Amino acid sequence: MSDLVVDCQGVTRVYGDDVVPVRALQGVDFGIAAGEWTALAGPSGSGKSTLLHLVGGLDRPTDGTVVVDGKKLNDLSESQLSDLRLRKVGFVFQAFNLIPVLSAVENVEFIMQLQGIGPSERRERALSVLDHLGLGDIGERRPGELSGGQQQRVAVARAIVTNPVLLLADEPSANLDSATTLELLALLRTINEERGVTIVTATHDPIVMDHASRRVLLRDGRIESDESVSSPMLPV
Amino acid sequence: MKFTLLVQLSWRNLWRHRRRTLILITTICVAVGSVLVLNALLRGMQMSMVETAIDNLNGHFKVVAPGYLDDPGIKKSFRFEPSGHPELASYGIRGWTSRVRVPAVIRSERETRGVQFVGVVPGSEDISFLGDVEIDGEYLSGPDDRRILVGHALAQQLETGVGRRVVLITQGVDGGNRESGYRIAGVYDAVGTGIEKAFVFTGITSVQELLAVDAVTEVSVRLTEGVQEPPVLHRLTRTFTDLDVRTWQDLEPQAAMMHEMADATVSIWFLIVMGALIFGLVNTLVTAVMERIRELGMLRAIGMRRGAVIAQVVIESMITMAIGISVGVVLGLLGYLWLADGIDLSAFSEGLELTGIRPELIPRLWAQDVVLVVGLSLVLGFLASIYPAQRAVRIQPLDAMRR
Ligand SMILES: Nc1ncnc2c1ncn2[C@@H]1O[C@H](COP(=O)(O)OP(=O)(O)O)[C@@H](O)[C@H]1O
Ligand SMILES: [Mg+2]
Repeated sequence: MSDLVVDCQGVTRVYGDDVVPVRALQGVDFGIAAGEWTALAGPSGSGKSTLLHLVGGLDRPTDGTVVVDGKKLNDLSESQLSDLRLRKVGFVFQAFNLIPVLSAVENVEFIMQLQGIGPSERRERALSVLDHLGLGDIGERRPGELSGGQQQRVAVARAIVTNPVLLLADEPSANLDSATTLELLALLRTINEERGVTIVTATHDPIVMDHASRRVLLRDGRIESDESVSSPMLPV
Repeated sequence: MKFTLLVQLSWRNLWRHRRRTLILITTICVAVGSVLVLNALLRGMQMSMVETAIDNLNGHFKVVAPGYLDDPGIKKSFRFEPSGHPELASYGIRGWTSRVRVPAVIRSERETRGVQFVGVVPGSEDISFLGDVEIDGEYLSGPDDRRILVGHALAQQLETGVGRRVVLITQGVDGGNRESGYRIAGVYDAVGTGIEKAFVFTGITSVQELLAVDAVTEVSVRLTEGVQEPPVLHRLTRTFTDLDVRTWQDLEPQAAMMHEMADATVSIWFLIVMGALIFGLVNTLVTAVMERIRELGMLRAIGMRRGAVIAQVVIESMITMAIGISVGVVLGLLGYLWLADGIDLSAFSEGLELTGIRPELIPRLWAQDVVLVVGLSLVLGFLASIYPAQRAVRIQPLDAMRR
């Protein structure tokens, strides 16, 4: 149990009020082991994002417990959650991941600045991550000068540069064409396999699901199926 | 290091909307610059009024017998031994002098006029206008000079002049008239004709002899420029126990009122322009926060603390203010230097003579005023950022990004 990076027990999340409750999650038990790449699948409105947010400390469950890296999130204060997001979790959202007034490399450095890492170390780490992800030549450009795919890749670089225990990506390919999506997935594959980063992606895009090592299908706020894939599709 | 990060981010954010930021900064510049120039002009006016009021035989403080101001005359006189008041030589006091001043009637061969007959110690009158007044003829040679000085305007009215004789009549301690003839040593030319018609000067002992007293009616004290009045007033009050120590404000209430009005004018102007400016600043900051809702939500989501979000808005406001204030101070200084030679007000000098303002207005820019304006502006810039910062910190990361 303690070797799980994420451990959810009986997680329920109800939106709205008593009159018109929206049960986004209804008693989900769910764990993630280190090094896994889990795809949360399911139709729109099935609760993928809600679960991802709870796991990332962006939201609190109405009922049940969420444990991340041995910490029970229910007990954490607002600023402790903030700190957890900063130090333990890397986020890649559907869009608006980057600060428009900072260059790609500054965006990657930014999160290390928030962590209080000194200037020379963070510049070095930012450049090395960008280089590793094949983004070395666009480091000085601002997000407005990058394509959608490049922006998402910089967001991945920003998310992993702090060596988080968990990388969460919510519909990371929603704004990308299929070729660009494949590039992004290849990138996630690399960091999952080479760096051993634990990844959770919420998606209804079948291509994304095909790359994950485990597929968790949600329907109406419940886990319908949970299967490990022995040989996930190889990157193209 | 976290602070420099926020400063860098705020700085970049400011230039997202170059035009909007430049307009705002220009407004701040104009506001600060105009406040400083107006302040310098009004300070100049104040100083000129104060100097006139002090020069007119008042000094900053005047020691008189109780009741003298209501009923000036030799009956309200007092004996004065300088050696009994060493405080008069203490820090902050530029000089002092004693006088005997009585109401009198002056008579020439042709005319008669009411005047103030003032016995002075000529050598220590450098604290009043008499010290550097233009004189046709001769200045008094000493306290026992029995000749007199009359104003130019009075000499014209009396149809008399240097070397001629006039008669002065005043009341003695017993109420009876005292009368004596005096030769005119010189005719002085003061700033206003009011003074020239009012004062006739002679050596102090000559008035004391005329009235058969060994007393004075006033001791006038002048401070070194820039010295604060209250502490010196306090010391003087303690040493002249049985006497009244009056300030120039007591003696020239009209000038004192004008002085306060000038202060109020600067404050009101400051409040009006800064009020308008703060309104614009709050507006711009709120707009900037609303434009960046998704970005701020993202920043909170990846772990930026609430405090950092607040700090970002506050820093943005302070940077804007700091640039505006800096350029505004430079503009204000340039405006001041441009006017520093003085503004010729002689076209209005008839009206001004009553108020005691000299026909040339020399602006004065005091460091303490600049510091005050800069300080208050920064405080206002801070206050203006509170509401926008609250708006920013209320942003919930998930709500913001779902938009
Ligand atoms: N803030 C919210 N307020 C009310 N209902 C919400 C909120 N967020 C999500 N929901 C509802 O919860 C359900 C699950 O949403 P979500 O987790 O976003 O699904 P998915 O990501 O699988 O599309 C949906 O019915 C959605 O309408
Ligand atoms: Mg979703």
